[in-house]
Amino acid sequence: MARVAATHSRVTGRLTGPLTGRLVGVAVELWLPVLLFAGWWFASLGSGSLYFVGLDVILEALRDGWLGQAGAANVLPSLRNLAEGFLLAAFAGVVLGTVLGLVRPLANAVSPIVEFLRSVPGVALLPIGLLIFGIGTEMKVSLIIYGSVWPILLNTIDGVRSVDATKQDVLRSYRVPAYLRILGVVLPSAAPRIMVGLRTSLSIAITVIVFSEMIGSTEGIGYAILQAQRNFEIPQMWAGMLALGVIGYLLNIGFRGVEQLVLRRHRAMNTTPGS
Amino acid sequence: MTAPGALLRRAGARGVGAGEAKLLTVFGVLVLWQLLSWTGALAADVIPSPAAIGVSLLGVLGGPEFWQALGLTLLSWALGLLVSICLAVPVGLLLGASEFGYRSCRFTIDFLRTIPPVALVPLALLLYGATMQMKLVLVVLGAVWPLLLQSMYGVHQVDLVARETARSYRLGRWLRTAFVIVPSAAPFVFTGVRIAATMALLLTIGAEVIGGAPGLGAAMTLAQTASDIPRLFALVTASAVLGVLINTVLALVERRVLSWHVSQRPTHA
Repeated sequence: MARVAATHSRVTGRLTGPLTGRLVGVAVELWLPVLLFAGWWFASLGSGSLYFVGLDVILEALRDGWLGQAGAANVLPSLRNLAEGFLLAAFAGVVLGTVLGLVRPLANAVSPIVEFLRSVPGVALLPIGLLIFGIGTEMKVSLIIYGSVWPILLNTIDGVRSVDATKQDVLRSYRVPAYLRILGVVLPSAAPRIMVGLRTSLSIAITVIVFSEMIGSTEGIGYAILQAQRNFEIPQMWAGMLALGVIGYLLNIGFRGVEQLVLRRHRAMNTTPGS
Repeated sequence: MTAPGALLRRAGARGVGAGEAKLLTVFGVLVLWQLLSWTGALAADVIPSPAAIGVSLLGVLGGPEFWQALGLTLLSWALGLLVSICLAVPVGLLLGASEFGYRSCRFTIDFLRTIPPVALVPLALLLYGATMQMKLVLVVLGAVWPLLLQSMYGVHQVDLVARETARSYRLGRWLRTAFVIVPSAAPFVFTGVRIAATMALLLTIGAEVIGGAPGLGAAMTLAQTASDIPRLFALVTASAVLGVLINTVLALVERRVLSWHVSQRPTHA
């Protein structure tokens, strides 16, 4: 049955030309979200439930509370902290990962410590972060760095180690200086792995920022959502959750764009015939 | 064709010195930390010395409250993970088996996956309060997506030659599922389980810290409000050990599955 569906879509793609084929493709991707949205809309229309309010009410709250001035006041602090923490974690992870990837004895010696620190659940550090930094930006940014640095670090180590040995030998025998070797060969070949680490870290960073705003903050998306729930402003709460979902999705899309840009060179290098 | 330098390095990494280097580094860091605490460079009321944490950890491990909290955390972690696996893996395998199902759900799952599960904390709190159910709902909502995606990918990636071979030998639907689809999807599913397990632990403890549901996270908040800093660090240490243990056990289980998979692979490659 799977085969029939697959062949069918392939056949329609071929017979009806590229444009219609693409339209069919888009339709296949979109029918379920549209149906779910419509289902939610009609099922919740005029809902009397206290907790599950109508989608029309939620969208109204979304427009009033999360777009324009009010929305910016909630979203911008979160995005700023997120960007700061994520970029610092990326920098630290790539630099340390490159060092540890190149110097194996060092990586081996510190591996138990890395393994242990990595296993501390990021949320468990919230009470400690509150203790050291109090409520504020520093606490949130450091928690993001701590939570999201590990996937970047470990993937960078793996990526750096998997650089082709022949390439390394050639570079060494030509006495290419270390910084050129790292910037010109090691990091570009490790780039795909580093990007994998960055993508994992991005979703961790989003989770950590929302978490930390729910506990130790007076601003941001997480704070706004939890506050709405405490004040029993249920439509606002739903609107905030929806807004968070959209922001998370947009960040992922944006990251995918960056990833494609960064890895374009890599793909071009590696899709030559015979490799 | 390996450079002598690389050989030497590999020998160094594998030789007798490797384990000792690890021990020495851990020991060195602990001593340095203790010295910093003694000299007052690290304020004791912010970051306690390792000795103080160790003493507190012994006290924590000796009391019944810790084991009770640990039991509650582990129970909701395991239950949540189990429910997620039972829900997501069959559905993912089914969806991945049909091209139409795979492409229809890709966007929706991708969207739902990017919603941070913490976004649902307020709703879960509203519906269930600070209870075990609240934790379970959060864990399942967070752990279900990686499992679903990995199972879908796993079936979708089944080697075409293997699939066609099974068909030309007229293996029935059940035989095909048991001997072709499940074995080649298994590594993907396991990766999903590993991701979901980490996610589930994070969410369990997070739900306890924020929502105040009983467990390790609530014990941490309690220690923090009581300003019992060594106890707080001891509990965080314990949760890290829990994370290491879970990772190790899953890695062991996976290695078993993987070894069987690798031995399976060359026969039809």
